Amino acid sequence: MERELQILWAAIVAYVLGGVLAIFGVALGRRRGHVVLGLLLAGLLLHALSLGLRWQRLDHGPFITLFEILSSNVWSLMLVYLIAYWRIPKIRPSAAIVMPVMFVLMGWLMLAHPGEGHFPPTYRTPWLFIHIGMAKVFLGATLVALGIAGIVLLRRYRLAVQRFASLPEDRRLDELAYRFMALALVFDTLMLITGAIWAQDAWGRYWAWDPLETWSFVTWLLLAFAIHLRLTYRPQPVRGAWMIVAVFVLAFLTFFGVPFVSESPHKGAI
Amino acid sequence: MIDPGEKDALTTGGPALPVLLRGVAALGSLKLTLTLLVVLVPAIVLAYNSEQWRSWPLALPLAGLAVNLLAALLSNPAFRRQTALIVFHLALVALLLLIAAGRMSYLKGTLEVTEGAWYEGGALTSTDAARWHAGDLDQVRFTNLGFTIDYAAGVRRGPTRNHVRWIDEHGRAREAVIGDQDPLVIEGYRFYTSFNKGFAPTFAFTPATGETIVGAVHLPSYPIHQYEQTREWALPGTHRKLWILLDFDETILDPAQPSAFRVPAEYQVIVRDDDRRWALHAGEAIDLPEGRLELAGLRTWMGYNVFYDWTLPWLAATAALAVLGLGWHFSAKFRRRAWDA
Ligand code: HEM
Repeated sequence: MERELQILWAAIVAYVLGGVLAIFGVALGRRRGHVVLGLLLAGLLLHALSLGLRWQRLDHGPFITLFEILSSNVWSLMLVYLIAYWRIPKIRPSAAIVMPVMFVLMGWLMLAHPGEGHFPPTYRTPWLFIHIGMAKVFLGATLVALGIAGIVLLRRYRLAVQRFASLPEDRRLDELAYRFMALALVFDTLMLITGAIWAQDAWGRYWAWDPLETWSFVTWLLLAFAIHLRLTYRPQPVRGAWMIVAVFVLAFLTFFGVPFVSESPHKGAI
Repeated sequence: MIDPGEKDALTTGGPALPVLLRGVAALGSLKLTLTLLVVLVPAIVLAYNSEQWRSWPLALPLAGLAVNLLAALLSNPAFRRQTALIVFHLALVALLLLIAAGRMSYLKGTLEVTEGAWYEGGALTSTDAARWHAGDLDQVRFTNLGFTIDYAAGVRRGPTRNHVRWIDEHGRAREAVIGDQDPLVIEGYRFYTSFNKGFAPTFAFTPATGETIVGAVHLPSYPIHQYEQTREWALPGTHRKLWILLDFDETILDPAQPSAFRVPAEYQVIVRDDDRRWALHAGEAIDLPEGRLELAGLRTWMGYNVFYDWTLPWLAATAALAVLGLGWHFSAKFRRRAWDA
């Protein structure tokens, strides 16, 4: 366990260095995209190693305790963001918005107790991986959208205007951010469907309005609402960006708030 | 929302038609969609907070959305150009209809079956059936051939493996091991093992006149009610009430190390009448005014949840169609321009 934790801390150091460099890069107008990419990738690989060692030791994936859920989500969010960062160089300065969000999760992770939890019998199914995988892609896509929306908002409120001046115009960023929202909707839909299938198997009902189900459904509706709102009223990119922030906040609360305050079956250990 | 070409075609149909079509267009407005989505949120809050609010407060905005969507499919040119989008939205309407149909015909319930005994259709321990439930529970027959459950240290339950035998629709006997995620499905009824299970002292009762009847007493769920292994039991076919208590010293599920669910090797069953008390071992009998009661042995019982909803496979297929439509729509839309353009 010591070894795992040391590797995890090393990963976090790499993430933080990459993030800080990205933030300073934006603030000082000097971009070091490749160095940031390298550091984040190093963090991701170290983190994967730490998760892998733990997986091997406990003989189950990181899906049970708060520590495991935070850790696996930090990893998957970094993975999705890194792919976007690598493939769409134009939006790289969004790291200055995304990384502070990730720092919050990483800080929380460092405070969480790394002890092991009980792997419930209902988790012994491939739906575990499918459902959680879909959820992770959904949250990752929302995070990328948040980063892009953040640029629009910072510019609008005259913060770091020059720093982001060289980026595509708001309309283009809005279009790109809503592509990620579309991706998020597809994966959110998949998450709900696979979750319902799993719930039918595990608890003998596909839907029961448990807190996590309810929050996820409202998040899905808000996502549909945001996409429809944009098609119906063609709002200014700033408004569109606020909608993205709202969806992200709701998704974030659903992922990291609800499971740890409710006593529902979804909490896991039954 | 109606493009000019359409309008011309419509006006030739007489004066009543355009009014009707304008009505449809208004019903299919995207602004109405947004309003209804907002209205749905308090309905969800109600549904979440109380079971009694899970029907019409949800059904109304959802029905509104279905009408809104159908009207939009007829009147909105955006749909006509985008087949994948139509597929997705139609699948959403179909999902709503299926869910409504499921709500009107489902059955949920619980039952307990003693090891070695048959469930022979009909009565459940608890039932919650929709008004139009029309399944054939009376035809369902299965027997519980016993189960194994391993526990990790700390009395943490591992997978449940329950051996069952049943008669399929062709009248053939079949066997399988079910448990946790694997239900036994007969005639559309899905039987899931539950965490409810326990010990069942089994008696052979021979009335003064008549044949021997075998009966099992399902003691409270174990290990949750570990210290209340007692239950009142009516002697079969009589009004006599007996108190049955299972007494043993062994540790079955050890908090300190891995263990498995099993019946204790050494036990006695205490039978108490109003003022008399007997301690019985397997094979021992007592004589009561109504007849002779023999302790045949100690078995286990398993609690099941049963769920019936004929819409399940249709829901799964429709949901799959919805995501395919959605994915297809977006991939076509985004292919027109590179992500990094
Ligand atoms: C809550 C369920 C709904 C979801 C998740 C949903 C989702 C979507 C999505 C993802 C799109 C495509 C957006 C894009 O291409 O960027 C869309 C478009 C559309 N939706 Fe829905 N929708 C829902 C309900 C409805 C309803 C009830 C209506 C009824 C009017 C409707 C009418 C439309 C129309 C007309 C379009 C095409 C708009 C255009 O391209 O101009 N949707 N919807």
